Amino acid sequence: MEASSTPRVTCAYLNMYVGRNVMIVGKVNTLRGEEAIIDADGNITIHLNRDSHLTPGNGVQVIGKVNPDLSVKTLSTLDLGNSVDYTLANKVVEIAHQHQDLFIYPAEHKPQGF
Amino acid sequence: MAAYGGYQRTGFGAQGGEDGGGFVGGSQQGSQGGGQKVYADESLRPVTIKQLIDGGDEPYPGAEIKIDNMPLTQVTVVGQVRSISPQTTNITYRIDDGTGTMDVKKWVDAEKAGDMEPKFGLDSYVRVHGRLKNFNNKKHIGANFMRAVNDYNEVSYHMLESTYVHLCITKNMLSGPTGQEQKQANAGDGGDNMFVDGGAGSGGSSARVAACSRNAQIMYNFLNTTPGGNEGVHLNMIANGTGMSVRDVMAAADNLLENGLVYTTMDDETWAILDY
Repeated sequence: MEASSTPRVTCAYLNMYVGRNVMIVGKVNTLRGEEAIIDADGNITIHLNRDSHLTPGNGVQVIGKVNPDLSVKTLSTLDLGNSVDYTLANKVVEIAHQHQDLFIYPAEHKPQGF
Repeated sequence: MAAYGGYQRTGFGAQGGEDGGGFVGGSQQGSQGGGQKVYADESLRPVTIKQLIDGGDEPYPGAEIKIDNMPLTQVTVVGQVRSISPQTTNITYRIDDGTGTMDVKKWVDAEKAGDMEPKFGLDSYVRVHGRLKNFNNKKHIGANFMRAVNDYNEVSYHMLESTYVHLCITKNMLSGPTGQEQKQANAGDGGDNMFVDGGAGSGGSSARVAACSRNAQIMYNFLNTTPGGNEGVHLNMIANGTGMSVRDVMAAADNLLENGLVYTTMDDETWAILDY
């Protein structure tokens, strides 16, 4: 059991999480070697790792660390197929930030008793 | 029953006024009243793992676990499998839903062929139904049911549903148990335990009205909070107080009468809560 979150974010929230791990759901726009651009309410540059298998046009969930230039260094990716409702996924991000007590631990936060 | 984690009352009917009188084996009596399971209270609540980690603390071992001051029965979470460790009696999956991580133990039947094999791949999304358990101060979910999530939108849906339910409870949109009712529910009022239907007569008032319609629950709560004593409250007052139409109040009253929760007093349009 671990009390740390990988907050769900879209492009607009990236600057709040520089240096932290986040979870992004977006649509793969372009794929260029080690780099991909995905659309999560705005384009985000993703630096891929060797295990990433992205399909252009499909949805993808990227978990990664936000660089100071707001690109994201991949830790893991998951192909989500082509039936992802992006409006819904973006809504989740918005709701998660409105109700952080349900979704997001503050950085470096450790509740007592762990 | 073991999967449900609760203890069962003995069949001797020896639960006097005080819970756990002299005759009941102490070991069975894991808690003082809090462990009384009422079917009408059973629900399947969607939650995020963060809610389980932050909330879900028991004040004493065996006590009712609560989130948002609402007793927790079964929960459902949706998350990704981060690690799998098969044990002799269960498979432990570490589930991460982006809000936190928690171990989920799925008990296996050694007799059943193939049950010992993990059915979910690493990093795949799963939906889990189960109960929050506290073992050696470490929380885990005892899973009754697990399945793979094939459509990512279910993940989004679950997160929104968890928020929705949280807001319903905290903003009092459900006629959920109030503090006072909760006390009654916890008091373990002995003698009522012959009833297994959980509708009328078992547990506190929250459990009693759980089987009724929403309007009936509103009306019950209104009667409960309105001073009127034995004389009851008249139809018009209820309609005014709750904002329901006269027709709705009549229907709600019928519903409550059927369940033996209220009785008519001065005339057919005046009701009081039947307390026993």
